[in-house]
Amino acid sequence: MSTRNPRRPYAPLLLALAALAAAAALPGAAAAADKDKILIGATLPLTGAEARVGGFFKEGYDLAFEQVSKAGGLEVGGKKLPVQFLLLDDTSTQASAVSLADRLVNSDRVDFLLGTYASHLVEAQSTVAEQNRVPYVNGGGGATKIYKRKFKYLFGLISPVELLGGTLMQWMDEQQKAGKLPKPAKIALLWENTAHGKDFRKGVSDFAGKSGGAYQVVVDESFELNARDFGALLGKVKAANVDLFLVDAHLPDYITMHRQYVANGMCHKVVSYGARGGEKDAVKALGQENVNYVLSGVWWNAQLGTKPGPSQEFVKAFKAKYGGREPEWFQALAYESARALFTAIQQAGKVDREAVRAKLASMKMPSLLPGGTLEFKAEFGQQAQNSFVVQQNQPDGTSPIIFPKDVASAAGVAPNPRCAK
Amino acid sequence: MDRFVDLAVSAVLLAGLYATMAYGLGLIYGVLRVVNLAHGGVIMAGAYLGWILHGWLGLDPYLAIPLVVGVTFLLGVLTYRVLVRHLPRGAAGGPASLLLLFGVWLVLRNAAYLLFSGNDQTIRTAYSTRAIPLLGSYVSVNRLAVLAIAVVTPAALQLLLKRTYLGRAIRAVAQNADSCTLVGIDVERIYTITFGLGTALAGLAGLLSATIFSFNPGFGSGELLKSFVVVVLGGLGSVFGTGIAALVLAVVEVFAILVLPSYLTAAVGFVMLVLVLVFRPGGLFGQRVLG
Repeated sequence: MSTRNPRRPYAPLLLALAALAAAAALPGAAAAADKDKILIGATLPLTGAEARVGGFFKEGYDLAFEQVSKAGGLEVGGKKLPVQFLLLDDTSTQASAVSLADRLVNSDRVDFLLGTYASHLVEAQSTVAEQNRVPYVNGGGGATKIYKRKFKYLFGLISPVELLGGTLMQWMDEQQKAGKLPKPAKIALLWENTAHGKDFRKGVSDFAGKSGGAYQVVVDESFELNARDFGALLGKVKAANVDLFLVDAHLPDYITMHRQYVANGMCHKVVSYGARGGEKDAVKALGQENVNYVLSGVWWNAQLGTKPGPSQEFVKAFKAKYGGREPEWFQALAYESARALFTAIQQAGKVDREAVRAKLASMKMPSLLPGGTLEFKAEFGQQAQNSFVVQQNQPDGTSPIIFPKDVASAAGVAPNPRCAK
Repeated sequence: MDRFVDLAVSAVLLAGLYATMAYGLGLIYGVLRVVNLAHGGVIMAGAYLGWILHGWLGLDPYLAIPLVVGVTFLLGVLTYRVLVRHLPRGAAGGPASLLLLFGVWLVLRNAAYLLFSGNDQTIRTAYSTRAIPLLGSYVSVNRLAVLAIAVVTPAALQLLLKRTYLGRAIRAVAQNADSCTLVGIDVERIYTITFGLGTALAGLAGLLSATIFSFNPGFGSGELLKSFVVVVLGGLGSVFGTGIAALVLAVVEVFAILVLPSYLTAAVGFVMLVLVLVFRPGGLFGQRVLG
């Protein structure tokens, strides 16, 4: 015999739904309530294809959390709250990055999220943060398409790759105006077929388009990641007789392509592989003599730490923690992401996701990034727009900053002296 | 004309690389009728072996060939004796062998991640970026060496298969294993040696690739895919066909840049694969068994 009320057949279902709704509301309520600690979660690619950089990001996060811990926590609403960091390995895969973020938010109940590394992982993972309304601060996703979605809870410290192409062109423009490069200059533009490569291409193409004919892109080709042969592509570049050889590539493709480039006896007045150039692995694989005068643009460089300021403090702290080793931009961006989140929590004065999100959206923080200030403007989808620093490999093994002038430690060389040999 | 010569030289050198990668896969399928999905993992292992021997012992990668071939041969023998021989023969063993060897690949890859991390590695020698002028074009010394090995390898295989008792036994087992048992050929031994040889060829391909490319534990997946295309194009089990198919694939891919955007040239090979499977399922040189 059934005991159900025949007039209200949906009553149990409605009750269950009400219970679920109440349960779903709990994390937000918990976050808003007084807390005795702050729980911050993140995933990083500690294994898998991006493991190397994932390890660098971990170093940056660890340093930031260690500093807060030594200071006794964060000053929130007049009292010090300890900060606990929960870090998981997303194995460099989108599926893990998404499912682990979901676990951090809904099972571990973290208050805020820091981002993983690599654009494709950040793009997938940030949807979890947005759906759950958790502020997500990252220094590992640079593709503009991530921010064109106009997510409210997503904040990115890594400037768009478009700016990288544009900044490199600005330096070349100075050289052209000084009569060191021909006018018009013919460009071969090769880019990896990813969001990263497309943004780079746009930065260079836009600059060339607005130059009034000073630059002509005569080869414009993309290539697949981890390509095995660039012979045909380089043959096309050779036949086009260009002045500037501009490529956007990840490290393995930079090494493979540049080996073939050198073996083919090629040389151009300016050679750049985008953000790649002076990495120790590349120098080891290609030989110093073959990477001399390669131009690259990065989001941050330890040389920014030669002058007093946040970069100097960071470099000093990093070296002290990691046995004198010099940090690269990966660690700096991770460290600064954590610092931006800490600053927003302190300014909000409470462990509340909405309040911290609002502070992140309006903050203007002194930063170690080029330009010295960090802000997340809504018009750019809350992606920082700090300029890049351009560096150039020198025969003595250094890669000094050569642009912008206010932070440059050496003058750049153009045209490429290798071609005279 | 210069451009045509440049592209032709690129195609021939690329063909050498493709052929080297595919021989092992073709040999194992030709005799055992097993698609060796661990092939990609062994290519990666060969690259790391060369890297270790070069970095730790200072051994030139080309002088390391006998050692790498020896070690990967033993790896193949071990894989066959411990795992593959327990699988059912014929069509029934197909899915099981695919899964098993895919598992072996995963084990190899994750072991490499544990041992060497995910960092990209390279082997750099004094001649890594050296080139010699040829027909008005520059030819990388490394790629030329790979091409030479790609030509010598099938010749040596052909000699082994045609002129030695072992080779004749391998061909006989490939044609009819049951009859071989009747005439006293130790079929299991032949299978073991063939699996070892195929694996050693994958190790050799890995070592040679490492002289040209950077690599990490994920290395080998793209190489396995290309090997499949080459082996199927050439006709499964045809050593001669494998070499020619590698040349056809490389020529089509390289010359495609004259009419297609660069990023589409890699897809040309897969379109060819589909066309060959539809119109000539046995491959361009199929229906022949090991020479």
